[in-house]
Amino acid sequence: MPSEDTKERIAKVVDVGRVRAPVALERTTPHETSAILLAQTILHYAWIPMIIYVGFTRSNPQPSLIKLISPLA
Amino acid sequence: MASPVSPINPYTPLSTAPSSSTNSNSTSVFSSYLGRFSKWRAELGLPNPGSVENLQKEVKATHLTNYAFDGGRADLTKSMSMNPLFQVTHSFALGSQTMAPSYNFGAIYATENVFLQGGVDHDGNVNARVNQGWSNGHVSKAQAQLSQTPGHNLLQLEQDYNGQDFNLNLKAVNPWPTDLTGIFVGSYLQSITKNFACGTEWVLQRPTPSTSELVATYLAKYTSTDKSWIATAQLQPAGILQATYWQKLSEKVDFAADLQLVATPMRRDAVATLGAKYDLRLSTFRAQLDSTGKVSALLEQRFTPTFAFLMSGEIDHFKNSAKVGVGVMIESSALSPEEMEMQMQQMQMQQLSPPQ
Repeated sequence: MPSEDTKERIAKVVDVGRVRAPVALERTTPHETSAILLAQTILHYAWIPMIIYVGFTRSNPQPSLIKLISPLA
Repeated sequence: MASPVSPINPYTPLSTAPSSSTNSNSTSVFSSYLGRFSKWRAELGLPNPGSVENLQKEVKATHLTNYAFDGGRADLTKSMSMNPLFQVTHSFALGSQTMAPSYNFGAIYATENVFLQGGVDHDGNVNARVNQGWSNGHVSKAQAQLSQTPGHNLLQLEQDYNGQDFNLNLKAVNPWPTDLTGIFVGSYLQSITKNFACGTEWVLQRPTPSTSELVATYLAKYTSTDKSWIATAQLQPAGILQATYWQKLSEKVDFAADLQLVATPMRRDAVATLGAKYDLRLSTFRAQLDSTGKVSALLEQRFTPTFAFLMSGEIDHFKNSAKVGVGVMIESSALSPEEMEMQMQQMQMQQLSPPQ
């Protein structure tokens, strides 16, 4: 049975050896800065609406909105 | 720095060239040689060989490897306008052994110089394409795939230049400007004679700033004089060869053969594919036979201008398995017949008087 002194020394060594878990990085590569992530998110949500907007405003007989949603109209 | 000298007419003898210093003399000699070289090159009259991506375009259109599917499929296409082309597509796929049930929404907008395409999945994955054509044979393209899971995003930038008898194509996949990581592809294809073209493609992969790997591929393409058959070959010095042969047997029948050979020290493998495509008035039928023991067929039958029916079947004789696919394609137009007439007339007028 180790003495109190030994137990204390062991506890100190274990404490020092316990590496603090690093703060979890929210980025996976050094390239993914918050600006790049913002640009990706904007592109992700806005690309299809942008094409639909461009197609609606520039096509020759201006189609009505219902023609986009219903396949039968 | 030499004083600016006007370019010399390539046909005047060089002794009459004005020269104030030896420096301007050498640049004028160089520019005269350049002028004579490009004049000789233009007089050869070599055709443009197409890009490296389209090297096997005819073979890929004849073989059904890119078109076969299994399970049920329905494609509803709605075109809102023809002249600036604007189409919306809903695709449903169900019951496939290899893919999960999926829904895909796509939109296409195209004018003469600009092409925009976007698609979104039932999972929320977005794929986007932009093509912009400039006036002098340059085409800039960009393609992106964005998914909900981070780290799976892809961006590809491409610049394509079609010269008179050559094609130069540069691609960058996920490039990062400061440390130049990513994948870079450069390809060059040049017509040597009226029938023969050869070129190279170099792929440089740089996943981190310190590691890079370069793979070179050598390409050759031979087109017959009457353009009825095309033979191509792609060779990587590591021991990978892909050779294809395509022939148009008649205006309704195409035939294509494809051989892929891997002869590296680690792996020795070969696959040969023979396929034929029959273009009939209301239907297209493709049949294919593989050296891995697969026999496949694909039929696309058009019943009315708006409705087409697809059937795809594949039997693997060595594994004793089969895959069958059935699909419908409905193309409806949001234009009434009068509007459609107006658009056709506009397109014809544009074709008769092309914009400068």
